[in-house]
Amino acid sequence: MSGALILGAALAVLCVVLVALPFLREPDPLSDELDELTPERRRRLALAEERDRALAALKELEADHRAGRVSDEDYRISIGPLRREAAEALRALDTVPDAAAVAETV
Amino acid sequence: MARKRSPARLIIALSIAAVLAIFLLYTSIAGGGTPSVKPSQLGGQTGTVALVGRVVGAPTGDAHAGGLRFRLRDVQNPKGTTVPVVYTGTVPDLFATGRDIVVEGKLENGTFVATRDSMVTKCPSKYSATKPAGQ
Amino acid sequence: MAELGRAALVVTLGLCVYATVAGSYAAARRRRRLAGSARNALIAAFGSTVVAAGVLAAGFLRSDFSLTYVAQHSNRTLGRAYKLSAFWGGQEGSLLLWLLILTGYAALAVWLNRNRARDLVVWVAPVLAGIAVGFAFLLVAVASPFDVQAAPADGAGLNPSLQNPYMMAHPPFLYLGYVGLAVPFAFAMGALLSGRTDERWIVATRRWTLVAWTALGVGQLLGAHWAYVEVGWGGYYAWDPVENAALMPFLAATAFLHSVMIQEKRGMLKVWNVVLVALAFCLSIFGTFLTRSGVVNSIHSFSESNIGPWFLAFIFVAVAFATTLIVWRLPLLRSKTRLESLVSREAVFLYNNLLLVALCLTILWGVAWPILSEAVRGTTVVVGRPYYDFFLRIFGLPLLLLMGIGPMIAWRRASLRGLGRTFLWPFLISVAVGLVLLWRGAGSSVPGLIAYTFSAFVLAAIALEFIRGTRARKALASESWPGALFSLIGRNRRRYGGYIVHVAIVFLAIGIAGSAYDSVVEGKLAPGQSLRVAGYSVLYQRLVERDTPHAAEVRAQLLVSRDGKVLGPLEAGKNSFKIAGPDPQVSSEVGIRTNYLTGEDLFVIPEQINADGSVYFRIFVKPLVNLIWLAGFVFLFGSIIALWPDAREQRRLAVRYEEAGGTVRGT
Repeated sequence: MSGALILGAALAVLCVVLVALPFLREPDPLSDELDELTPERRRRLALAEERDRALAALKELEADHRAGRVSDEDYRISIGPLRREAAEALRALDTVPDAAAVAETV
Repeated sequence: MARKRSPARLIIALSIAAVLAIFLLYTSIAGGGTPSVKPSQLGGQTGTVALVGRVVGAPTGDAHAGGLRFRLRDVQNPKGTTVPVVYTGTVPDLFATGRDIVVEGKLENGTFVATRDSMVTKCPSKYSATKPAGQ
Repeated sequence: MAELGRAALVVTLGLCVYATVAGSYAAARRRRRLAGSARNALIAAFGSTVVAAGVLAAGFLRSDFSLTYVAQHSNRTLGRAYKLSAFWGGQEGSLLLWLLILTGYAALAVWLNRNRARDLVVWVAPVLAGIAVGFAFLLVAVASPFDVQAAPADGAGLNPSLQNPYMMAHPPFLYLGYVGLAVPFAFAMGALLSGRTDERWIVATRRWTLVAWTALGVGQLLGAHWAYVEVGWGGYYAWDPVENAALMPFLAATAFLHSVMIQEKRGMLKVWNVVLVALAFCLSIFGTFLTRSGVVNSIHSFSESNIGPWFLAFIFVAVAFATTLIVWRLPLLRSKTRLESLVSREAVFLYNNLLLVALCLTILWGVAWPILSEAVRGTTVVVGRPYYDFFLRIFGLPLLLLMGIGPMIAWRRASLRGLGRTFLWPFLISVAVGLVLLWRGAGSSVPGLIAYTFSAFVLAAIALEFIRGTRARKALASESWPGALFSLIGRNRRRYGGYIVHVAIVFLAIGIAGSAYDSVVEGKLAPGQSLRVAGYSVLYQRLVERDTPHAAEVRAQLLVSRDGKVLGPLEAGKNSFKIAGPDPQVSSEVGIRTNYLTGEDLFVIPEQINADGSVYFRIFVKPLVNLIWLAGFVFLFGSIIALWPDAREQRRLAVRYEEAGGTVRGT
């Protein structure tokens, strides 16, 4: 019975240590702040997603066309707007200042 | 060019309306379910009900030849009235005196005539599946 | 040992409370070390839950009947594997299994994401911990598996009909599914809490959702198979509330799996996705509640169950929490992209979602109506099979058709003429199949015929997709046909894995539709007599009795023939189990003869064995039913392909999130 008690106590101690570990490792850190997604980075992320979407849509149209799911006519109609969208997305991404330049390390 | 007004909202609204319409139509025609009654509540019932009760006494007869006859009483009321039941069809393995069961059927001339194969036993243990008779 | 188990659960509760409170504070105030501490607490909670589970498992393996729970669900003569599976045979143990899987998933989720999307993950930990607090509290304060008693000589044992390998595997798979839905839920709530409107949370949880969904599907099929062979009434699904409890979150999760693809491709439906994942999670909690509290049999058993009210409160809190967050962030989530055409893949996915959710909600109504009607009007009703069958057909058949249309339609806008050409072959094939089936007598069931015709359409459409894709690949890379197919699938794992899963669902539909063409015959046979059904002749030869340590077995020995040719013997009978207790447990052991070529089953139920040696049999011939079990394997195969890590895609995503700025893995 007391074996169970010892094991239980050991478990509790181990857990407390684990929980306190970040504080034990860095008792006096330079910065305790968590990385935050600044509005600038949010915007960049949204633009990156738009770019990826536009590029993926282009690729999918090409694949669909090659596989015969999309007719030549439909392809001709759709390719223009899609290419424009992709170009716009790429352009928009370029105009946002490169946040990597102000990278923070955590 | 993208349209100004999205048809998506319209589709969703129409679909929800359609689903509700189908649903209401079905339940008004086929009913929202069979009422579940206890033997003590059976008295005035006409129409098909689901009778829930505990088997009392020894069952007689054969469900596959002429009908199994037994009596049901309220699960919660040991002294309550008992109702005679005649049942044909599949009898679940767990059926026994003292077991709680559900049968569908109608009251006819004082005897509850069960719909064929409609008996379901409620399992004694909390987490065993009930055994439905022929579905 | 029970004290160790109890203590471990208290430690888990404490850690989870800490993780919730400290984690929320750390997320709100952006405290890095505190967030790390909360994360560690969640991981440690898994450790202490493992200890508690280990204690209980050991109790079962050692037949320690001083533990009340062990005595209630096991006995000395039980096989080792079943002793272990008795762990989840009752309420307390299955709650512990839930907590074990939850803390395990939570620990894995926060550990794998410890360096990614920090502002998002920092909120995920307290949400997961909060869910764990609910279960840990129940285990500590309300339904403890570690209650002790004076050990009786032997335990009550496991219900014999549960001693079946399928029933052994069914709860763990189901729980891996139920609990798995908590992870995408937590990430969705984390995204709302951190104010992120991008799809990071979806990207992070894509595989989690797929794993949970697959486990839920496989778990249900295992349960259905158990019902088919063990409960043995001739069917596999009875629309029992306990069964529906697993189906509802599965349907919601299926809708979710599809609608996130729309968000991925077009950036639309952000609000809908969050609502769906919350619905799926709340339904899985509701499902656990339904199965565990006995609320549906009668509202009286609800108040008898000690955890019923707590679960209801839990669901209420979860729904309130999710709703508040969604309403709060609603303005942020509005997207400007619009649905361009009613004839596009987005639209098809939207219809698919609407049908799935409609089916899910009608099932929910069927389950809840008896409870509500008793609470409100005082009279209970029983909602039967006809209700569910009707709505399954009304919503399920169009869904089946959509599975064939979806893959062939382009995104954004599809031209009707183009569609006509793409649909031509599948349409012709399905019409041909339909006519042939009609000629062969399938018109006896209209929904069945429709199901088969639609199935042919979908299978033809999917086959064409594979052919077209392979041909295009071959032209591009001039590989051989098998090579092109292999690389086609390899480069598009999600798409073609998904197609294979669709094939599995079609198999399932065909198998289920087959029950509309069941033949059944019944009658009393004396030895030497036979019954004929659908071309088979079943001869009842003799009754034999066997005595095993567990039961007295009575078997009717039968001979099955077809067209005069003997196919083989079959046995069917009943077992009388030797268990301590007032009444002997009797179970029917059905006899099943499978024709692997046609997928047909000859299903013999020995309904009544009479004292004079005559037996009343009910015999089914169930066409195509084995397609259902085959579907399970195809389903698993397709899911694994869809899940398989794709280095190319990982790279692309990594680039996207790095570019958004910050540390290499900061976003």
